[in-house]
Amino acid sequence: MKKIKLLVLFILLLGLTGCNQKYENGEVNVFNWSEYIPDSVIRQFEKEYDIKVNYSTYSSNEECLAKVMSSKTGTYDILVPSDYMVDIMLKKDLLEKIDTASLTNFSNLDPNYLNQSYDPNNDYSVPFIAGGVVIAVNKQKIEENITSYNDLLNPKYKDSIVLLDDERVVIGIALKANGYSLNDTNDYALAEAKEFLLELKPNIKLYDSDNPKGSLITEEASIGVIWNAEAALAIGENSNIEIVFPKEGIYKWIDNFVISKGAKNKENALKFINYILNPEVMKRVVTYFPYKNVNQETNKLLSDSYLNNEAMNIPDRIMNNGEFVIDIGENITKYDRLWSEIK
Amino acid sequence: MSKKLPLLIMILPIAFFMVFLVALPCIYVVIISFMEKGIYGGIEYIFTLENYKLILEPLYLKIFANSFFIALVTTIICLLISYPFACFISQKNKTVQTILITLVILPFLTNSLIRIHGLIILLRDGGIINNFLLNINLIDEPIKFMYNQTGTIIGMVYTLLPFMILPLYSNISKLDANLNDAAKDLGANKFKTFLHVTLPQTKYAILAGSIMVFVPTLSYFFVSDLLGGGKTMMIGNVIKNQFLVARNWPFGAALAISIVLFTLIVVIVYRKMGGKMEQLGGVSYEK
Repeated sequence: MKKIKLLVLFILLLGLTGCNQKYENGEVNVFNWSEYIPDSVIRQFEKEYDIKVNYSTYSSNEECLAKVMSSKTGTYDILVPSDYMVDIMLKKDLLEKIDTASLTNFSNLDPNYLNQSYDPNNDYSVPFIAGGVVIAVNKQKIEENITSYNDLLNPKYKDSIVLLDDERVVIGIALKANGYSLNDTNDYALAEAKEFLLELKPNIKLYDSDNPKGSLITEEASIGVIWNAEAALAIGENSNIEIVFPKEGIYKWIDNFVISKGAKNKENALKFINYILNPEVMKRVVTYFPYKNVNQETNKLLSDSYLNNEAMNIPDRIMNNGEFVIDIGENITKYDRLWSEIK
Repeated sequence: MSKKLPLLIMILPIAFFMVFLVALPCIYVVIISFMEKGIYGGIEYIFTLENYKLILEPLYLKIFANSFFIALVTTIICLLISYPFACFISQKNKTVQTILITLVILPFLTNSLIRIHGLIILLRDGGIINNFLLNINLIDEPIKFMYNQTGTIIGMVYTLLPFMILPLYSNISKLDANLNDAAKDLGANKFKTFLHVTLPQTKYAILAGSIMVFVPTLSYFFVSDLLGGGKTMMIGNVIKNQFLVARNWPFGAALAISIVLFTLIVVIVYRKMGGKMEQLGGVSYEK
């Protein structure tokens, strides 16, 4: 008897999965960062366009590259690499040309974020969202004004800084503190960066890339060198926190939609990209994940609480003064050695 | 043949599993550890020994040494906690034994990352333990349990403790109590009985438990990332970085192989000393 019941249940379950909605216009395979596009936006797209979205996520550019290189061509349609990764993917011939003229919403984008060095004519990439690494400071605990990366060396801040667990960020700011580029690979520059980081070491409470805002909110750490949206969310939870843009300039990035070489659903991919560029849709994205919006039509719809919040909406002058990480090729091993040395 | 066929069918799934999901990936790792790296990850099919030479550089040897140190301390603490505990359990009646062992195994059923996050709530400066100690005026400043090597070791001990308790328990609960009585009759005090009667009978369980704690400690990078604040570089962290950041897969593979080799050597030594492979698998339940 029991077995029969189980069998009936099983068949019912099969029936349920069979009821799955059919999509008239096929599918699109999106491979994106985790925590980047709210689920509701994707469901809405599926409903409006009758296209099934197969959505999977990654947590670093390198992971995205590794997955794309090791899977069959055409596995993914849309990827969302950062600036320097677009460059690498172009060098590896992994991208399909995008006809931006066919994207009716392309003109919504802020020209300030178009035609960047990694893809001068936006032949292959469409900017999605931007951001940068900022310094978040708990004003109740830190009296001094922090204006530069060098201020972090103050021995008073012993055991109180949270840094992103990312070698390009940490070594990058050490280089910037000494007046070099984020991407300098000269041995003398890296030697100075190493010295800076060894001096900074006693002040570092922890490295955390997953949830750096956590230790700021609980006041476990009083200074954070973290992503701007993380800082914005930390401020939302703890009003003692303020952000600072160091005078040496910030580490900035732009994440871009690209279409991978051999994509099977190119048409649908373009529809998806165009959909996200819609001002209303983009508004929902940045309200959910408060990074720097690069869609000027969306800016007209956003409230002052977003626009005037410098942690969310990093001012353009700061962005323009910031620096991209670029692909340093073989020299990445130098960075990795340095990273192992200072940790 | 007719007798062998059912047997073949029965072992087919496990044979498939061992060949395709264990043996082949391992062979693949060995192969790429002898190849040159591709600039953007992946490998170039050119034979080289560079990756193994790199391991011998002082920088990485130091990380090995540090990892071994943390693993050793973790193993010793686990042993010191588990041995008395296993003795304690095995003196209880059957029902209590089952309950206590279930309690040891139970946390295994939840995700270890979630348990580590639970530990963070307990251990951090403003956490439950420090708040309690501050409130009863036992301490004036929060004790630094986390974001240092102490944190890493606490996390490792917590995660790996059952691996030590289970083999010890299964061994100690089967010891013949008559031997202790005999030792007593022959005039040995409790300490001498323990040293000359109990300890020699449990040495393989101790070795088995130690191997099962020591080896995973080398590669549990998430524990040092979360509780050590990412400040202690362990071999696990270096391996992870080679694949995810430095795009040097062959070096990462070579590091992984060196840990496998180390483990093999330890297991061979263990067997030479007379240890049994079954005990390395954890518990043998037959009584």
